Amino acid sequence: MEAEAAKYIGAGLATLGMIGAAVGVGNIFAGFLQGATRNPSAAGSQFTNLILGAALTEALGILAFVLGLLILFS
Amino acid sequence: MAAQTTHNAGDAHDGNPVAEAAEAVHGHEVPAGTTEVAAHGGEGGGLPQFRMEYWGGQIIWLLIIFAVLYALLAKVFVPRLRKIQDTRAQTIAEAVEQARTVQAEADAQAKAAQAELEDARAQARRLAADAKAKAQAEMAASQAAEDQRLNAELEQAEARIRGLRDQAMSNVRGIAADTAEAMVAKLTGQAPSRADIDAALAGRTTEGAA
Amino acid sequence: MADPMHQFEVQKIVDLPDFSIPGVGVIDMAFTNSTLAMTLAAGAIVAFMAVSTAKVSVVPGRLQAMGEGAFSYIDNLTTSIIGHEGRKFFPFIFTLFLFILAMNILGLFLVFTATSQLAVTATLAIMTILLVLIVGFARNGASMYKLFVPAGVPWYMLLLVTPIEFISFLLRPATLALRLFGNMLGGHVALKVFAGFIISLGGLAAGGGLGLLGIPGAAVSLGGVVALTALEFLVAFLQAFVFAVLTCVYLNDVVNLGHHH
Repeated sequence: MEAEAAKYIGAGLATLGMIGAAVGVGNIFAGFLQGATRNPSAAGSQFTNLILGAALTEALGILAFVLGLLILFS
Repeated sequence: MAAQTTHNAGDAHDGNPVAEAAEAVHGHEVPAGTTEVAAHGGEGGGLPQFRMEYWGGQIIWLLIIFAVLYALLAKVFVPRLRKIQDTRAQTIAEAVEQARTVQAEADAQAKAAQAELEDARAQARRLAADAKAKAQAEMAASQAAEDQRLNAELEQAEARIRGLRDQAMSNVRGIAADTAEAMVAKLTGQAPSRADIDAALAGRTTEGAA
Repeated sequence: MADPMHQFEVQKIVDLPDFSIPGVGVIDMAFTNSTLAMTLAAGAIVAFMAVSTAKVSVVPGRLQAMGEGAFSYIDNLTTSIIGHEGRKFFPFIFTLFLFILAMNILGLFLVFTATSQLAVTATLAIMTILLVLIVGFARNGASMYKLFVPAGVPWYMLLLVTPIEFISFLLRPATLALRLFGNMLGGHVALKVFAGFIISLGGLAAGGGLGLLGIPGAAVSLGGVVALTALEFLVAFLQAFVFAVLTCVYLNDVVNLGHHH
């Protein structure tokens, strides 16, 4: 196998890590919506926590994305 | 720039068979670049963001700009905004306080007015009751007087009627006696005695009166 | 033109004399397009703030309401996360938020996004973490170790928890920098790639024949670009907000160390 091809395959594999982040962020919003529909009055106060959790989870997906780009362009 | 163009041409050539076919049909065959590796070599390797020669300048410039922005915001704009917000909060608090006192005043006034109204209403009620009682008394007095007058008149009228009737009755008695005498004389051929007729009439009248 | 990475190239506009820091080396102080984007962002903030607070009144006008909205939004954020002492750090967090927001938004209008440069985001992240460290040591001194030793955890658990806490603390600047960088980079690459599809598919269609099939593809790509642009505006705001929130959270960790409120 050519080294170039292996690089592309590796970059593609590295971005698979974003699947986990996608599932995690989806879970966070699903949980928030479930809670918010049960108790809508408490939803507004938890917006910051929602964004915070989504951001922390998303960071791992972004890590995978940056790693993929690094592999692709190195 | 030349390397860039060759790289793009190579990209289109390798990555997109349809495009390649279209190019081939129209004869726009661009001379293909050497290889992918060579094309990337022209970029200096890696993402543009990882070219270290620009890091120092960016960091220093960022620090300078951030420091200036921070100073401006912290010394000028944040205090200005903070002041206006505090002023607004104070204004609102004052207005609310004022509104509260006005409200209390209005409440007191409303209460006074209510009491006055109650008073007036009670007075009116008393006046009405008095007037009613007076009117009733007057009416009763006048009614009594009228009754008396009417009774007297009635009495008079009755007395007159009684007189007239008595007179009529005595007349009737005379007529009856005469008639009875005439009838008995016609029937029996002899005139009855006045005493008999009187007795018979008396019995009749007492019978009829009874 | 179709290279989606070309937009991130730093180019010199005005070449200024180099500047050398002893021990670090020579630094190229050229005025680049990155510097220009940062300057424009800062200038836009200052202009906006100057106009919106030029004649302040108790009943705000439209611009003043916008400026005050941003102000009280971040003010509420700091006080709700850090507590009463958040006011001291408010100017820093407000500056961070506005600066990142302005750079993100300007990146959507101009050709260059300063926040898609790792050098910029890393500097911002390291600045934040340095502030956290300085505040932490100034307030807590040697008891800063409590940051890695949560109270009420049995000692055998500490063997596991302390390294994890320590590593996560070390990763904070990295994730802070990479999150902003990755979001901006990814968004702009996706925009450029979809926009490139329009051109190449349109070129196919210009050839006629089977290539006409490229027209619906180009239309779909155009729709994709429009939708992605809208999403990027959301991301631009959200990433600035997230950076501000995380700065607050990290500051709260050291300001209110040991007593949670």
